[in-house]
Amino acid sequence: EHDKKPSRSQEASQRRILDCATRQRRLNRQLDALEKDNFQDDPHANLPQLVKRLPQFDDNNESSKKRKKTRGDHFKLRFRKTFKHFWKSSVSEGPNYLTACAPPSKLPQRHFCAVCGFPSNYTCVSCGARYCCVKCLGTHQETR
Amino acid sequence: MMTTLVLDNGAYTAKIGYSHDKVSVIPNCQFRSKTARLKTFTANQLDEIKDPSGLFYILPYQKGYLVNWDVQRNVWDHLFGKEMFKVDFADTSIVITEPYFNFSSIQESMNEILFEEYQFHAALRINAGSLSAHKYFQENSSELCCIVVDSGYSFTHIVPYCRGKKMKDGICRINVGGKLLTNHLKEIISYRQLHVMDETHVINQVKEDVCYVSQDFYKDMEIAKLKGEENTVMLDYVLPDFSTIKKGFCKPREEMNFSGKYKTGEQILRLTNERYAVPETLFHPSDIGIQEMGIPEAIVNSVQNLPGEMQPHFFKNIVLTGGNSLLPGFRDRVFKDVRSLTPTDFEVSVVLPANPICYSWEGGKLLSENPDFDEMVITRDDYEENGHYICEEKFDI
Ligand SMILES: [Zn+2]
Ligand SMILES: [Zn+2]
Repeated sequence: EHDKKPSRSQEASQRRILDCATRQRRLNRQLDALEKDNFQDDPHANLPQLVKRLPQFDDNNESSKKRKKTRGDHFKLRFRKTFKHFWKSSVSEGPNYLTACAPPSKLPQRHFCAVCGFPSNYTCVSCGARYCCVKCLGTHQETR
Repeated sequence: MMTTLVLDNGAYTAKIGYSHDKVSVIPNCQFRSKTARLKTFTANQLDEIKDPSGLFYILPYQKGYLVNWDVQRNVWDHLFGKEMFKVDFADTSIVITEPYFNFSSIQESMNEILFEEYQFHAALRINAGSLSAHKYFQENSSELCCIVVDSGYSFTHIVPYCRGKKMKDGICRINVGGKLLTNHLKEIISYRQLHVMDETHVINQVKEDVCYVSQDFYKDMEIAKLKGEENTVMLDYVLPDFSTIKKGFCKPREEMNFSGKYKTGEQILRLTNERYAVPETLFHPSDIGIQEMGIPEAIVNSVQNLPGEMQPHFFKNIVLTGGNSLLPGFRDRVFKDVRSLTPTDFEVSVVLPANPICYSWEGGKLLSENPDFDEMVITRDDYEENGHYICEEKFDI
């Protein structure tokens, strides 16, 4: 959605007004994107299967390494846990991962133009994004 | 002969070295490149990649916690192995860091790998901030308290220490770190001028080369709007092409063409308000929709939740560590904002160490030279007799 696609001036009339929940979902999606390690595909992802199977090139092939296995499958299983899994299971008394998160700021919210980044005074009625001038509103409507 | 290896195992770089030697900063991850299609590069093998455009990262950490052990093992095998530190495990103790509120299953996996797989003679697991606090108290022996601000790749922690003990109730985490700043800069540049979403490695360098922390945010906004030479914020950055230009750089001001048109074939990024608006996220996460306090406000909030008689001691011993504290203007801005949020009769002092990235490693080095060090570690024999329990008992984690 960030790309300036050739089909810029799509039917503005089709634009619907986004409700609160949709706006929040959109914000969450944007924040999740800021956590990503890569946006492109793994350059090894499209290698022919044959090449992929060559053991000397397969870095995740544990059996190719002489490793002292300690607790076998149990070990491996545990390592597969994802981050979400971790903090969901970490309910403890007293200070913990969840309680340590910084509380919301008491300072007033600041607003910046979604297009140029300068302070903004206006809100797009359909999606709630901020803009600072007619020119930026135009760009916003064409690109988002 | 017994030796101690100190490893500040960060989510982006490992700070590693023997306690009797110097520290090395090494990528704690693996890479794949578009040009070397059959190889995965590990840690400092990054230097072998001639064209790191579109570099693909494989990281052991997720949101600041160690979850991808296969990758971590590959990096450690490389670091401990004959190409690098040639660790003689039976005669080596390891000091290794982990994040605050680490999950117990990660801690147990760590114990198993250190003692059962690598078979280190002994180990001490500790928070990087505790090593920083140790160094600070060693160098400022008259101080009773300090507050360590560790702003790294995954997040920023604010942690009060009193007489060497961390005060768990005061620990505060802001979910903004260097990774988020780089990704944010990537998105802004991709939206405004050039698609760089695949170029984390390149844009991270842009961030390190051009970004700074504003001392007067709205004044910089006014300057960044000006046309031509008056716009002292504006900067043209020449992107690397990895053939003739190996590393990106800022065009010298006298060579800048303010119309933005260059005759040379160089690929230019024109940067204005993103130079300071991106790092501003550390000070106002709500600017991008993260409803959390920024660093100065969180420092003040954290101290105000501690016993009243201790509070003045914290405000005059604020220590900045982690890669983000290298942003120009970072220390001055933290000082300015904390000062303005704190009663005037409190002294405020903010210290930026000479090497904020390796400060905790240096703390680990000092700790390993401490006469009590042998009492602090768990030996492999202890572990084999008592298991995870003994580590949980002994380590202040
Ligand atoms: Zn605008
Ligand atoms: Zn809109």
